[in-house]
Amino acid sequence: MRGLWAPLLVVLRKELVDGIRDRRSVMSALIPAVVWPVMIAAMLNFAAGKRQQADEIKIPVVGAEHAATFVDWLGQQRGVEVVDGPDDPYTAVREGDVDFVIVIPEDYNKLFAQAKTVELELVADGSDNDAAPFVGRARRLIEGYGRQMAMLRLVARGVSPAVASPLRIKEIEVSSPQQRAAMVMMFLPMFLVMAAFMGGMQIAIDTTAGERERGSLEPLLVNPAPRLAIVAGKWLASVVFACVSVGLTFFLLLRALERVPLEALGLRFQLGAPEIGAALAAVLPLALLASGLQVLVASFARSYKEAQTYVSFLMFVPLAPVFVEMFSQIDGQPWMAPIPLLGQHVLLTEALKGEPASFGAYVAAGVSVALAGWLCVLLTTRLFRREKIIFGR
Amino acid sequence: MIEVSGLRKSFKDVAAVADISFRAENGAVTGLLGPNGAGKTTTLRMIYGLIQADAGQLRIDDVDVLRDPLSAQARIGVLPDTHGLYPRLTSREHARYAGRLHGLNGPNLERRIDALIETLEMSAIADRRVSGFSHGERTKVSLARALVHGPQNVLLDEPTNGLDVMSTRAMRGLIRRLRDEGKCVLFSSHIMQEVSALCDTIVILSAGRVAARGTPDELRSQTGHENLEDAFVALTGLDEVRA
Repeated sequence: MRGLWAPLLVVLRKELVDGIRDRRSVMSALIPAVVWPVMIAAMLNFAAGKRQQADEIKIPVVGAEHAATFVDWLGQQRGVEVVDGPDDPYTAVREGDVDFVIVIPEDYNKLFAQAKTVELELVADGSDNDAAPFVGRARRLIEGYGRQMAMLRLVARGVSPAVASPLRIKEIEVSSPQQRAAMVMMFLPMFLVMAAFMGGMQIAIDTTAGERERGSLEPLLVNPAPRLAIVAGKWLASVVFACVSVGLTFFLLLRALERVPLEALGLRFQLGAPEIGAALAAVLPLALLASGLQVLVASFARSYKEAQTYVSFLMFVPLAPVFVEMFSQIDGQPWMAPIPLLGQHVLLTEALKGEPASFGAYVAAGVSVALAGWLCVLLTTRLFRREKIIFGR
Repeated sequence: MIEVSGLRKSFKDVAAVADISFRAENGAVTGLLGPNGAGKTTTLRMIYGLIQADAGQLRIDDVDVLRDPLSAQARIGVLPDTHGLYPRLTSREHARYAGRLHGLNGPNLERRIDALIETLEMSAIADRRVSGFSHGERTKVSLARALVHGPQNVLLDEPTNGLDVMSTRAMRGLIRRLRDEGKCVLFSSHIMQEVSALCDTIVILSAGRVAARGTPDELRSQTGHENLEDAFVALTGLDEVRA
């Protein structure tokens, strides 16, 4: 075994030094780690902000003096503040000065007293998506008041209110910001899996296709080191980069999520050390397979650019389980653990939910991706024996 | 000492090396001379273990290359046809990487690297990253990489290719010094003057076979040409009109 380890470590060490000096390799490990947390935090903050704003609503009213009771009632609702509406409500809404305006007609009290229908104007711009939650809330408030009044009128005439409401809707609120937040949380495991694939990608290419392109493969292979040790050293260098990228991505994602008011989105997301450890235990072994695939595929390429094309197709691989989950409602089952990628996805999702799977499932998942990665290394070693690969440039 | 006998290698149905046998002694410079496509590079690659021979015997010192390629590789230093370098490593790091792959380490390795840097007159570029090096400088780095473990047998594939006058002279000086140290030096070239000036033994290859073998004087008398270049042309059959 020593005959394999010594040269393996020599190659690993050299490739790490070389990789750290390569801006392209370092960037590909760092960029996802930095960009995704910022992106996810921005999306969640945006969603949370939207929702909080809809809870705290300012209602501009024109003609408030015509319907004092209604306006008083509005003002008493939770989170509602009634303000004076603009002089020209139509123009103000069209130009976006206010999101909407309620216009109360002069004859409100007269019609109301006669138990006739009063027409309130809700001036809004339907194309303004940002205003939609506010307009919706205002509409619900108006309709709510109208229903209350209808009930009172029926009761006053000795009719049961139930007669007039054959159907009753019980609203279960799943507003769009919340959906967005839920989507974001669903993509969290995917970000970690993608980091495992992206972190070591450039160094996997540089140490194989890059080596061929530079013509340094021949001088390397004249050294008395087993090809397997050389390939495995390159593989592990890529694995190290991928793991650093995953760790950093995870760390920054957690820091970013701390800065998001998750409660406002109705999300429970509390990760303690055990959950973090479980998530890392689920995703880190995946680097063995990701780097193995990349080293194998990139070895077929004669140049860096060619390899990038091939390897970028591999980026679709980690997305597969996400699609499986999106389009089929299967929950994580124990038998999925040893299936590369699907297993990691299931284990990660469960770990992040705070319901880690059994120890055996982690071992099964880890061993299966490690074996798959090693198989890629063995295949690459065979490629490195081909004269076409060693000399063909 | 390098011993080659009955070596054969075909790519698809083209015989790159049809039947090559020769012996390169210690303390001597052996030159493989031949026109392009004569099989020089293929022969060297089989000796340093990157191409599998179809048939034949290959011995380096007492090691059978085909049976124990790693031990054979441990006994040779190779300057291949392509001297690809790692642009982000310094000259010294290139030599260190090769040395470590040969199992050297620590102060012993560093002493060898220092000595080589002096011998190859590359102290000015020793600790610079190699990107942007001239062809001559790159060749020096490749040499340092090839010689760091002090191999008994040195294989050089067209070592002066593309070098300027000064670098070529330095390379010749190095080859002579290696010979004087008792090493076995085997190099390939298609340049007549170079081979005649340096070699103790010349092996002339043509179309994958040994056309002639001997000292420069022997070759002259063998062909009856006083001029070695004429001898070369006669031996490789380049003067015949081929069908």
